[in-house]
Amino acid sequence: MRFIVCVKEVPESIDVKIDLKTNKLQEEGISTTLNPFDQFILEEALKLKKDEDEIIAISVGTPQTKMVLMKCLALGADKAILLSDNVFMGSDSFATAYTLSKVINKIGDFNIIFCGQQTVDGNTAQVGPELAAQLKIPQVTYVESVDKFEGQKLVVKSQTDEGFKIVESQIPVLLAGIPPSSFTPSLPPLRNIIAAQNKPCIIWNFEDLGGPKDKYGSAGSLIQIIKVYYPPPRKKGIVIVEEPTTAVEKLIELLNKDKVI
Amino acid sequence: MLGKAKELANELKQDICAVIIGSEIRKFCNVLSTFGANKIFIAEDDALKEYNTEIYTSILTRIILKHKPNILLFPATKIGRDLAPRVASTLKLGLAADCVKLVIQDGKLLMTRPVYGDNILADIICPNTRPQMATIRAKMMKKAEPKQNESAEVIKEPVNVNVDSFKTIVKEKKKTSIPGVKSIDEADIIISGGRGVGSKETFKIIEELSDVLNAAVGASRAAVEAGWKPKSCQIGQSGTTVSPKIYIACGISGTTQHLVGMKGSEVIIAINKDPEAPIFEVANYGIIGDLKEIVPLLTKALKEKKI
Amino acid sequence: MELKFTEEQEMFRESVREFCQRKITPVALEMEKTREISIEIKKGMAELGLLGCTASPEYGGSGLDAVSAGVIGEELARADPTGSIPVFYLVQAAWGFVLNKYGTEEAKEEVFPKVIAGEYFLGIATTESDAGSDVGGTRTMIKKEGDGYIVNGEKMYISGVREAAEGGGGHLTIAKQNPELGTRGMTMFYLPLTADGITPTYIDDLGREGISCGGFAIDNVRIPKYYIIGEENKGFYIVHEGYEFARGLIAVICAAAGLKSLENGMNYIKERKCFGTAIGKFEEINFRLAEHYTRLNMLRDLAYKSLWTIDREQQGKGSRFETSKAIAMAKMFASDWACNAINDVMQWQGAFGYSKECPDQAAWRAIRSFALAEGSKEMMKMIVARELLGKEFIAYK
Repeated sequence: MRFIVCVKEVPESIDVKIDLKTNKLQEEGISTTLNPFDQFILEEALKLKKDEDEIIAISVGTPQTKMVLMKCLALGADKAILLSDNVFMGSDSFATAYTLSKVINKIGDFNIIFCGQQTVDGNTAQVGPELAAQLKIPQVTYVESVDKFEGQKLVVKSQTDEGFKIVESQIPVLLAGIPPSSFTPSLPPLRNIIAAQNKPCIIWNFEDLGGPKDKYGSAGSLIQIIKVYYPPPRKKGIVIVEEPTTAVEKLIELLNKDKVI
Repeated sequence: MLGKAKELANELKQDICAVIIGSEIRKFCNVLSTFGANKIFIAEDDALKEYNTEIYTSILTRIILKHKPNILLFPATKIGRDLAPRVASTLKLGLAADCVKLVIQDGKLLMTRPVYGDNILADIICPNTRPQMATIRAKMMKKAEPKQNESAEVIKEPVNVNVDSFKTIVKEKKKTSIPGVKSIDEADIIISGGRGVGSKETFKIIEELSDVLNAAVGASRAAVEAGWKPKSCQIGQSGTTVSPKIYIACGISGTTQHLVGMKGSEVIIAINKDPEAPIFEVANYGIIGDLKEIVPLLTKALKEKKI
Repeated sequence: MELKFTEEQEMFRESVREFCQRKITPVALEMEKTREISIEIKKGMAELGLLGCTASPEYGGSGLDAVSAGVIGEELARADPTGSIPVFYLVQAAWGFVLNKYGTEEAKEEVFPKVIAGEYFLGIATTESDAGSDVGGTRTMIKKEGDGYIVNGEKMYISGVREAAEGGGGHLTIAKQNPELGTRGMTMFYLPLTADGITPTYIDDLGREGISCGGFAIDNVRIPKYYIIGEENKGFYIVHEGYEFARGLIAVICAAAGLKSLENGMNYIKERKCFGTAIGKFEEINFRLAEHYTRLNMLRDLAYKSLWTIDREQQGKGSRFETSKAIAMAKMFASDWACNAINDVMQWQGAFGYSKECPDQAAWRAIRSFALAEGSKEMMKMIVARELLGKEFIAYK
């Protein structure tokens, strides 16, 4: 079996700043990490992996994104492919999905594609389904666990708006994962970090994928961000420090005055 | 969602159409027309009872190609966020996720969505493809005033489903939210409890307050992990993002992960022992004190007020 | 010149830092009372591969070089103000390096897997009541007998005595085999503290409460030949390689503890007001902050450079003397500078700084020990002077 896990490098803290000169997000100098949703689904893939199976982690990013792929290798992936080229810059979820689909087609056969449900930065939750559509394979999103995998069938538990459902799916399939609250990301031990340095981490650029240039990056994107800005600041709140009874009276008074209730 | 659609449609002088897919759904047509739908496309079949991404996508894409809408909105629910990108990608359409504001600018849909938690907002347009698509946080939009006696044209869409071709099958479904109890993503008021609540039993006082306010009960990750509330109540980065009119946080310190999930609330009230708790930084009103004393007093006071 | 950690080292740091945040920092101060490192923490450290990390992979270690070992020590020091876990770690990293380099196959196969699993403690025991940094003054004796050896004497002020005596493991120990040869007649060996004839005693240290300190009487203890570390009579030279490894790690740990304390202090002085102004605006405070920060970063750089000289020496690119000097320079002021910084941070925090709730007081007490431990600061000055002027300028010769 071949499992492909799509991952993204994201800022460690989502408390990012806007560069007022360029009206863009400040990306330089901030520390980054593997998107936690991606780490979760990678760990699900690792649970399914048998010795003869292969896990390939792929990511579209900058040369720095290699660190995130190295982490995937340290966690147990067998091989990593980094897509790095200026042509890929400025992709929306559609163009990202297109790039990933080209990579996957170039890799060749696969059985399951794993994605994080969303990223902590963009939070579109769209790349997974858009990629599944382009690969013309079924998808199951909001996957909390992969419970069974036998032959060509897979049983997963996935979150719904009301609770959860158990879904049986054929393979190939794309699974988009969201960690249950009990999930604690694994920390790769030193020896696995060392072993990862000897695993293949390949860098591909636009020429490696081929196809029309205007399908990638901002040229291939269907939506356009025209402005980023801080939300209007919340008004400074009123904090009541009083005996409970007085405090509650005061609160209700304030809520009445401000017509909240 | 119809409220927002109506607003946009009026400005563009276009029709408001609703699409419903499922089984035994004709009964919803009335509600849809009351809230302003002019046309309703209905795809009805017993085989459509369970949501299935691929089948729903094929039906919806056919409807889109046939009727060529200008704007297509989905709720940013789990189903909406599963279906919309699948449809968008199939038809090569631009899609903005989880929008909190939609306006028309120069005849185009200007979509505002939060990124990086809710720390940054981005304005997005869809320059070339039609329909312009968005999933939206319906709670953030104004509800339309219902108008009785409005009627809509109901158009039946052909359905051709072969159950055997389903590649994914739902084997079992479970609601973790209790029937009769409001779910957090539809409630106007949410009372949420965190680690400070201390036990499953103490959650009772939060539930009592929610009864008085007709509110939903939410929980922080810590409270869910402790087993005091089911996962469906969890608010935050790994749970649900909510934006009710009033959010009351009891014994929640306000980790970044939690704040991301509730910062969009109109009014935030925090009750916490620790004056340094980050929740007070986003709260409009805060009480420093023990929730076990304050919440019952608040319940009592609000109860009396109602009478 | 490129001053940069390798990708691998950055990944070590990320893993260790996350582990520390989850498992160590929240409970670190509890060690002041429990006086031990919890099994959970030891297990976690073992799973990550932090214990005996310098052992070669064939014994289950990660074969870390000195700089990488420093990266881990730095993170542990930032996380544990009591200094217990850094000591627990550094002793085993440094003396694991010696065992790995000079120990016999049998000894390594016996000891390393258990050290790496967190079951055994591997320590160092050279100090005696009347011989510390002056290792030549050692009185403990080792004597060949049959196909093994017999040891007699007493060791004192040794870290991890309880850990090894009760949990298993032992200490690399030095003793005189041929007293007439002076330092050229000393032999190093592994001494399990569970052996017959070992009687431990314990001492209450000022700090580092999570790791025990004590001594042990060695009464006719018999050890097998394969416990000898390196060649007989070469112990004095071997022991310094271990000390230097440990001293380099200590220098990094001091810098890290001091800088971590400064971070605590910065958070405080930005918020704390006096006469209506944040005290961080007063130059009496912010100039001191600037000086401490600068000094501690100088220390940090020098400390990593000293570890780098160890790695170069192991690759055959530098001499013993270069390493000794670089290490001694790094350790000379390490404790003083870090303690001074921490002391000021305590001062800034007023009465809270003097309370047991303040992590900085624990850090101060821990870091104070490093002006002595693994070679006193006075000894460091002597080494540097010796390397600069030559042996003929050593006063006591």
